[in-house]
Amino acid sequence: MIPAHVLLSGVSRGFGTAKAPTLALSQVSLAVARGEVVVLLGPSGCGKTTLLRLVAGLIRPDAGGVTVDGQPPQPGDGTAMVFQSFRLIPWKTARDNVAFALPRLGRAEARERAEHYLSLVGLSRFAKSWPAQLSGGMRQRLALARALAAEPTLLLMDEPFASLDAQSRELMQIELMRLMAARPATVLFVTHSVDEALILADRIVLMSPRPGRIAEEIAVPFPRPRWNHDTRALPDYALLRRHLWERLRDMVLNDPASDFHGRG
Amino acid sequence: MARSDTAPGRGRRPPGGAATLTVLRLGFLALLILLWWLASANVPRGIIPSPAATTMAAAQLWSEGRLQTALGQSLAVYGTGLLAAIAVGIPLGALMGAVRIFGRTVDLFVFALAATPRVAFIPLIILLLGLGIEAKAVIVFLGAVMPIILNTYAGVLARDADLIEMARSTGASPVRIAIHIVLPGALPFLVVGLRLGATIGLINTVVAELYTAVTGLGGLLALYGNTFRMAEYFVIVLALAMIGVIVTEGLRLIEARLSRWQTAERP
Ligand SMILES: Nc1ncnc2c1ncn2[C@@H]1O[C@H](COP(=O)(O)OP(=O)(O)OP(=O)(O)O)[C@@H](O)[C@H]1O
Ligand SMILES: [Mg+2]
Repeated sequence: MIPAHVLLSGVSRGFGTAKAPTLALSQVSLAVARGEVVVLLGPSGCGKTTLLRLVAGLIRPDAGGVTVDGQPPQPGDGTAMVFQSFRLIPWKTARDNVAFALPRLGRAEARERAEHYLSLVGLSRFAKSWPAQLSGGMRQRLALARALAAEPTLLLMDEPFASLDAQSRELMQIELMRLMAARPATVLFVTHSVDEALILADRIVLMSPRPGRIAEEIAVPFPRPRWNHDTRALPDYALLRRHLWERLRDMVLNDPASDFHGRG
Repeated sequence: MARSDTAPGRGRRPPGGAATLTVLRLGFLALLILLWWLASANVPRGIIPSPAATTMAAAQLWSEGRLQTALGQSLAVYGTGLLAAIAVGIPLGALMGAVRIFGRTVDLFVFALAATPRVAFIPLIILLLGLGIEAKAVIVFLGAVMPIILNTYAGVLARDADLIEMARSTGASPVRIAIHIVLPGALPFLVVGLRLGATIGLINTVVAELYTAVTGLGGLLALYGNTFRMAEYFVIVLALAMIGVIVTEGLRLIEARLSRWQTAERP
């Protein structure tokens, strides 16, 4: 068997104090193959962000093991992350925000690379603008360019398209798939959107909250490339979509901590 | 893609722009001079010299070279003490913020020292260093360094944990994070600290010149004040005020230049 690129085995991680602990993840095991696109789907608070931070090496598990390429993950070592809130550096221009994420390159080389990736996300004209001068969607694309510029082998994306309008979102999904076809990377992608999950994923990992667990894994069989035909028109699409939607709905309605508990 | 026009604008320009502000300030200056002139004409016994008498005294002091000498002495004391305070205060405050256990251990003592009137240390400093420029510079340093330490400390403590986590995710070293994320984020605090330090430093320059060997602008202030030469006395007061204005305005310009990202308009 090919060794997994990302491997989580029996991972648990909690937050908070001893008196009021939150178990963000409980006994999560997951293997992601090199070049695979895995989408994490689940209601708010099920530990999706926590899982990405563990894989990025930003936090350590309380129990269980996380490895990337067989090693405990080191931040920045072939891995790049797009955060849920853009986390742009307000006092750096768009170009310098991207260049900052390339600590291993020289100044000139980093700027050149930054400009290339800015043009890839359509922000060339705004290279010298500060984040405060950009619209929400532009900020999101800037955050994406910053992660791509590191040319990672592992790309961790936490709801990277959440603040885009419907058209831009679809265009960015296609753009991402094209980029991944040109420069293959392993992708762990978090979303709340069932459609986004079905369009992008090789495999969908459905998670449930309190404590965060993996509820179900679903292989997405649609042929690639998916951008030159309408994947949504495939008969399996409606089936899978309905299944995922119902599972998510049940989770939310049966979760005592949810605002919609018991409304079924 | 359409740019949203609803994102919060962060402009903080004064209405009417820089030219209007200059005119308003000059107008206010004229008003002050008018009030000064009225006071000088109405307060008895010549306690308040007229603007004209003060100007003449200034020209006299300048042509004798006394003003320049005193200014040079004072600026040497002030500059040495203030630069030393910056060179010590920023790294120390940053270290207190960066190494939590160190900061928690010493901050109490720094607060205590900051609350003690620094004049209290002057006899001790004179005993240790004598009456020369070293003693004076130390008095300036002690006054200026406290607000610089405390504000740098507060600025580093207020760092943005999310931005630091983002930086860590790119593989940035702690030094890179300090230079690109933490220190620029602390800049607004730093500027407040520098401004306070510069002001207190100037006050302490005068105090030092009064309490140790009498030199510089502080020395002239005492001399003319004690001998009721009020026109000369006013010249010295105005010179001190001008140093204060130049230093704080310079700091403000540097701050404005470094925080263009907050005020820039959309292109
Ligand atoms: N730093 C933290 N301190 C305390 N609790 C935390 C922290 N990070 C996460 N948690 C808790 O862990 C649980 C999982 O959080 P996480 O952010 O991973 O969820 P998520 O699936 O990403 O949610 P969302 O979809 O809303 O982003 C939540 O209950 C959250 O309150
Ligand atoms: Mg999240």
